[in-house]
Amino acid sequence: MTAATAAPVRPAPVRWVRSAPLSFLLLLRMELRRNPMPLILPLIAVLFWFDAYRPSTATQPFWMMRTFWNMGQGHTIIDFGPFVAGMAAWIGSRDGRRGIADLASTMVRPRWTAHLATWAATAIWAAAAYLVLVGVMFGVYAFQGVHGQPPWWWVAVGVMAVTAFSAAGFAAGVLWPNRFAAPLAAFGGFLAMMLSSQTGFRSHAGWALILPTNSNGNYNQQDTGIFYPYLPDLPIARIIFLAGILAVFLGVLGLPVHAGGRRLRAAATLITVVGLAAVSTAVGLVRTAQLSPRGTVIAALHDAASDRPIAYTPVCGLSAQTPVCLNPAYGSYLSDVTAALTPVLAEVADLPGAPVRGTQIADDAVGTLTISGSPPVLAMPLGAIPYLPGSTGFGYSTTEKQFADILREQFLHAFVTSAGPQTPAQQAVEAALLQRAGIPFADQPKLEAIAEPGPAPEKATATGPVYDAAQRLLALPPTAQQAWLTAHVADVRSGVITLAQMP
Amino acid sequence: MNVELTDLTRRFGRTRAVDGVSLQAGPGVFGLLGPNGAGKTSLLRMMATVLRPNSGRMRLLGRDPGDYAPRREIRRRLGYLPQNLGYYPGFTVAEFVEYFALLKDMPPGQVPRAVAAAIESVGLGDNARAKLRTLSGGMLRRAGIAQAIVNSPELLLLDEPTAGLDPEQRVAFRALLRDLSQRATVVVSTHLVEDVGAVCTAVALMNSGKIVFNGTPAELTARGEGSDAVGDAPLERGYGAVLAAARSLTQVRS
Repeated sequence: MTAATAAPVRPAPVRWVRSAPLSFLLLLRMELRRNPMPLILPLIAVLFWFDAYRPSTATQPFWMMRTFWNMGQGHTIIDFGPFVAGMAAWIGSRDGRRGIADLASTMVRPRWTAHLATWAATAIWAAAAYLVLVGVMFGVYAFQGVHGQPPWWWVAVGVMAVTAFSAAGFAAGVLWPNRFAAPLAAFGGFLAMMLSSQTGFRSHAGWALILPTNSNGNYNQQDTGIFYPYLPDLPIARIIFLAGILAVFLGVLGLPVHAGGRRLRAAATLITVVGLAAVSTAVGLVRTAQLSPRGTVIAALHDAASDRPIAYTPVCGLSAQTPVCLNPAYGSYLSDVTAALTPVLAEVADLPGAPVRGTQIADDAVGTLTISGSPPVLAMPLGAIPYLPGSTGFGYSTTEKQFADILREQFLHAFVTSAGPQTPAQQAVEAALLQRAGIPFADQPKLEAIAEPGPAPEKATATGPVYDAAQRLLALPPTAQQAWLTAHVADVRSGVITLAQMP
Repeated sequence: MNVELTDLTRRFGRTRAVDGVSLQAGPGVFGLLGPNGAGKTSLLRMMATVLRPNSGRMRLLGRDPGDYAPRREIRRRLGYLPQNLGYYPGFTVAEFVEYFALLKDMPPGQVPRAVAAAIESVGLGDNARAKLRTLSGGMLRRAGIAQAIVNSPELLLLDEPTAGLDPEQRVAFRALLRDLSQRATVVVSTHLVEDVGAVCTAVALMNSGKIVFNGTPAELTARGEGSDAVGDAPLERGYGAVLAAARSLTQVRS
């Protein structure tokens, strides 16, 4: 059946001037103004305060320590990720839930463009909120006088992770537009974070280093950001990985037939492929990662400039007339260090091989005090010494006496030992010197277990031939002890003296 | 002709929602009548380029919507009000209309004036800054109409546009349709026969996916004369008579 109205078709109007970028910006502005993401930000802020900030406050006042929990282990990402994914899914499913899909599909602008504007507003809110909360937290740390350098690279990883979560959630919402999209996306985000954390705890190498909540690899020594900058290798790999995920999800939105024209869908395909390539590249890169004392090195991404030490002017004090200098980041511990070293430095002051000064060094492979060079210099990797005085965070705290005992044990261990495992005579002399420095025999086995790196010494109690020899040395009059030590300490150190040769 | 449909068919599974429809329409108001499930909405969705027909030929505004570039040009000149249009509750009326104006690729410089004019023409000028969540059903419907006409469409497709409007608003809306029809083809799908009688220059009646009547409102009225079809108005009796005839024909064929 056919019929027609009579009036003729009027001529087409003048073609409109196209201004896609400006239209996109106007859409973005509107979406930013009406985006529901801010509704969930107070909840995230509360969680952030409890989970990311609060546990960090009890740690030592170094950027690396303060941010180990929230940036290194990725708790800032964990706090944001699931909520951002859920809200983004809710926003992405908007057209489907509200019955606007039909109308939206009759628009001139491709659906992909509208989706990108909506997603961009969502991501901007989420990333801005992340930056604000991290910025406030860092501001508080700075106000508290935390030393070292902030881990800016890890902030970049966090921003990229939050953005990737927003893209993943948004894509889930667009592709599965119903009311369950949001809770499922949030749960999926939470599950991803938990799996990432659990895998991260176990994996110090290999592909798992790419996971954004794997703290292994870069936060492995306290002096990062104090003596040496944070190595950007691993953060760069993670940013490539997360950018790849972001590209994949945004690209997938442009693949359906109704998303746009052939060219646009070709561009979406290209973006998806590039995203997949970025993910694969990043995983491939971390598989080549080498763990160095200063962080994870990825040869293809490594810049030698990152290995340059951070210049500083040391802060110095005197300990038994011996100058002791520390990195200014450790300036607040100077009095504790000089006080701890005073009795042991005084004890060995007149003996051959006594250090002429003490200098702090970066926490590196040695991990304990050493004396070397000519004239002898005491090198102190304080970052490696377990438990600086004060709270160490997460329920642990160390008294000044415990710290002093550890430092004294490590000092005398270094003084009587040149290299390798201690001989029984070296153990006996160290035990005698520790006793003279105020640490009784009975406390020494436990102290050594804490103070010395590596497995605990075999001796569980202060008995046996080593302690018998130490007792004999201490039984001598003080002048005789000093004379014996002056005469034999070099041989003790080189390991040629046996227990039988001791007094 | 702005609308040329030839033997258009659309199936959903085994159901033929639109079954061999042929229609032509130029500027003016074209009414699409029919009972629930007649296929009006499916036909309108095809004309709005939401759905693709399974078979048949369709030319809108002199272009084939099957190809991407012509489809974009059709959409640029198209206004569409779906039957069950949802809303972004956080948007204001002006933002809602502006949002779709931008998606219709209107030049950004022209958008504010066009949005204001569209909102004014549906009588929501005083509510332009009101959030959609605060509006009544009738007001929301008018906001939907505003988005449909913001780009001064050459082809305006309205699915149940007067649903939820009070009598005063319906009168105003008919006046708006008359005005719009001076420069566009307006296709109105409705249950309300009096709307058709008031504004339509042509009318088609659908039943079971087929066009069972196509003519003027006066011709439809004439079909009811002398019949025993029920209805308060002559046009309603014509509607009833045509529908009854179509149903009896279907029964005979089956």
